[in-house]
Amino acid sequence: MAGIIEVSDKLKSLIAKKGDMKAQYTVALTQTREITMENGEFTLFRTLFDNHVNIEVIKDKKHGTTSLNKFDDKSLETALDNVLLSAEAGSEDEFFDIAPAMEPAQFHLGVKEPDVDKLMQRAKEFSDDIAKKHPKILVMQIILKHVNAQSIYRNTNGSQDEKTSGYYEIFVEFAGNDGTNSTGIAGTQVVTDNLDTPFIELGSIEKDLQDAEDSLNPISVEGKFEGNVIFTPACSVQMIYYALSNFVGESVVLDGTGLWLGKVGEKVAADKLTIAFKPWDERIVNHEVHTDDGFRSEDYTIIENGVLKSYMTSLYAANKCKVERAKNSGFDIVIEGGDTAFSDMVKNMKRGLIVGAVSCGTPSGNGELSGVAKNSFYVEDGQIKGAVTETMINFNLADMMQNVTTLSKEVLCDGTMVVPYIEVEHVLISGK
Amino acid sequence: MLEDILKGKKSLFETGMQSVLRGQENRARRIVIQQGNLVVNERSEQNGVSAKVYKNGVSGFASMAEYTPEAAEMVLKAATENAHYLHKYAQKEKPALSAYRSGWAESKRFIIDFEQKKLVDICMQVDKYIVDKYPKLTSRTVVYREDTMEKVICTSDAFDGHVAYPRCCMYVVLNMESKDGQPLELMDVIGGFGHADDWFKDLSVVYEKIDNVYKKLCDKAEGVYAEAGVKTVILAPDVAGMIAHEAVGHTVEADLVIGGSVAGPNLGKQVASELVSIVDYAHTALGKQAPLPVYLDDEGIKAEDAVLVENGILKGYMHNRETADRFGVAPCGNARGYSFSDEPLIRMRNTVVLPGKDTLEEMIASVDDGYYLLSTGNGQADLTGEFMFGINMGYEIKHGKLGRAILDTTVSGVAFDMLKTVDMVSNEVKWQAAGTCGKKQRMAVSMGGPAIRCQITIGGR
Repeated sequence: MAGIIEVSDKLKSLIAKKGDMKAQYTVALTQTREITMENGEFTLFRTLFDNHVNIEVIKDKKHGTTSLNKFDDKSLETALDNVLLSAEAGSEDEFFDIAPAMEPAQFHLGVKEPDVDKLMQRAKEFSDDIAKKHPKILVMQIILKHVNAQSIYRNTNGSQDEKTSGYYEIFVEFAGNDGTNSTGIAGTQVVTDNLDTPFIELGSIEKDLQDAEDSLNPISVEGKFEGNVIFTPACSVQMIYYALSNFVGESVVLDGTGLWLGKVGEKVAADKLTIAFKPWDERIVNHEVHTDDGFRSEDYTIIENGVLKSYMTSLYAANKCKVERAKNSGFDIVIEGGDTAFSDMVKNMKRGLIVGAVSCGTPSGNGELSGVAKNSFYVEDGQIKGAVTETMINFNLADMMQNVTTLSKEVLCDGTMVVPYIEVEHVLISGK
Repeated sequence: MLEDILKGKKSLFETGMQSVLRGQENRARRIVIQQGNLVVNERSEQNGVSAKVYKNGVSGFASMAEYTPEAAEMVLKAATENAHYLHKYAQKEKPALSAYRSGWAESKRFIIDFEQKKLVDICMQVDKYIVDKYPKLTSRTVVYREDTMEKVICTSDAFDGHVAYPRCCMYVVLNMESKDGQPLELMDVIGGFGHADDWFKDLSVVYEKIDNVYKKLCDKAEGVYAEAGVKTVILAPDVAGMIAHEAVGHTVEADLVIGGSVAGPNLGKQVASELVSIVDYAHTALGKQAPLPVYLDDEGIKAEDAVLVENGILKGYMHNRETADRFGVAPCGNARGYSFSDEPLIRMRNTVVLPGKDTLEEMIASVDDGYYLLSTGNGQADLTGEFMFGINMGYEIKHGKLGRAILDTTVSGVAFDMLKTVDMVSNEVKWQAAGTCGKKQRMAVSMGGPAIRCQITIGGR
């Protein structure tokens, strides 16, 4: 931490010499160790030493940002001069601002130093577990990473946050393959702060591998019908992200096109749906401690029992559009589970799909979404009939939020989110 | 401009270890003007050095955010140690990689930087043009993006070189309401290889593009939903290029072939109509400089064209040195890393469907009931070649003539099935050089093609 404090001190003094301006800056030092396995063999070991400096200035109501990966005095001076020139080139806007001073704080998250030997053992065990338990899985890549980061954030209002963090990431990319047939590619990822558990038991890894094996002989769905869809937790997050960014994201708030603008306090989703962003939830492994504008990050609920509570806006958009800013700037999504077991959700389904991923373009502003159901299974009369191929689903994201019928008891905690299976009705499903 | 400080370090390469040192600088400029407000005004520079060291089947890699002789020595040492460490876990000893001829390669252009003020002013002028001429729009966004990279490459057993990839582009996004009050959006992009002065010295080209986007958006505001099902369509060059890249290109990257892609069992087989040929060009395409010319890859292989599909037959894959050895072919220079801290991966460069003999007019006239699909915002495909693309602009074709515009829809299919239905190919290729491919790392790529007529599944209600 000593090195980056020195760099931060240098920046502080350079900024002070520039006279009346607002600024915030982050100095970070990161060391990443990454091991790659391909087709069951270790192939690559990387060590990355990275520096990062981010500077944001507001001078004469004009705004500029820059980033660099150099810590030397000359580079810092040049960067500051250049970002001021950039700001000068911009246009005045009274709504640019940074947060007032926070209490200085220090945060220590996760495990700073990796146990590389243990990581190698777990990697080998993971590869062997997949080969033994899932013989019809072809693993393309396993990427195991430990990221150790130290950072200091300051602003000209007197804030100072120091943060050290260390966490492991486990990513596996695979397909079902029996020597003749291959499924589409699938990937699953977990973030953790310890190596206590065999990797195959983490997150949804085991389930995702099983699903790929079960997808080797897909069936075609005949015709077109309106049915129910159970989105897996990972897919639920994809759909909810599309809905929220399309209807209350920073960009649509600024340009005034979001469908839910002016609807804070109104019902936009099913009663049983409550969505929160909780960086401080103990199930989220590595998280922000302050917002991009320099406020202390707080947990907040964006939809509570179906009622819209907030937009996803920065301080700038909040000032500009006269709305409240979001209490954090991350996407640490937490949706608590419901009271129905996933197996019962399937048993209760008349006709529809379990959808693991949707291959689709970015949905349009009106929320219409049409995409190919990937890693998905056809369900009829409570029975899973098989994986599907060339099957499209079509729905409106705003309707989807209203049409949630069931949340599973089980939730996926992969270190970045807490989300259950979510069932939605009235989805148009079309086969060949 | 990066100085060549790496050549003197060759003596530090450990005997028996195939080594590459790479110095690299990435520079980004980003300006976003949304509704007349300058919401992003950003410059960033990142440079550093990395080393990759191969030893009998395993590789060590290290990078540092400094481009100095000392940093080069440190990353070489760390990468070599990593290779030795990993080698202890190797299950079987593999031979050294094939050696290639050595020499020096250089790209024809280097990077020019412009003051941010000049770039902001350009965007402001474009924004003013839009707001003055088209006040009825509900919103507008102008984005300038520059992502240039420069590399110095020094290898133990292949080419060395100094190459640069300047690229800039401008996105214009226009929004209006449809006839029933729904928000509609249409975007277009101008730019590619080169500097701001290459593309934006004369803004009349940009204005012409904006006029065109506005006209189409007005058509779209009166648009109708496309009818779902398998239809005869003409895919405009933007869409054909996206299919060449996403649905065919990725399946013939050798690392994904090894991962079980549909291309594996189809080498040498008919995978498309005889009218379809697809090439990944290195630096010269169809008699001109390729949209994003690549002269040397990050393993020191001089870039050459990779023929992927020829007259419908799957002819080859794209490789790095390791997969080329595995398949017994020569690599064509496809191994590239996005940042100094990224290891090179097999990446496409300028991937294109080759032109045919038909004219677009003949093709439209040949369709009794179908669609002309003009542009795609994005797309995805997987190892099976099953693809999905969002279509954000298109028209009906009725009795050989263009009809009403259609609202956003999607198309999907399986590439090698769909390409077999191609029965007309236009004689004019258009490129799109602003693309960024995301395969573990980002990478600048270009793609293109002629218009093609085929059967495709259209999604929708």
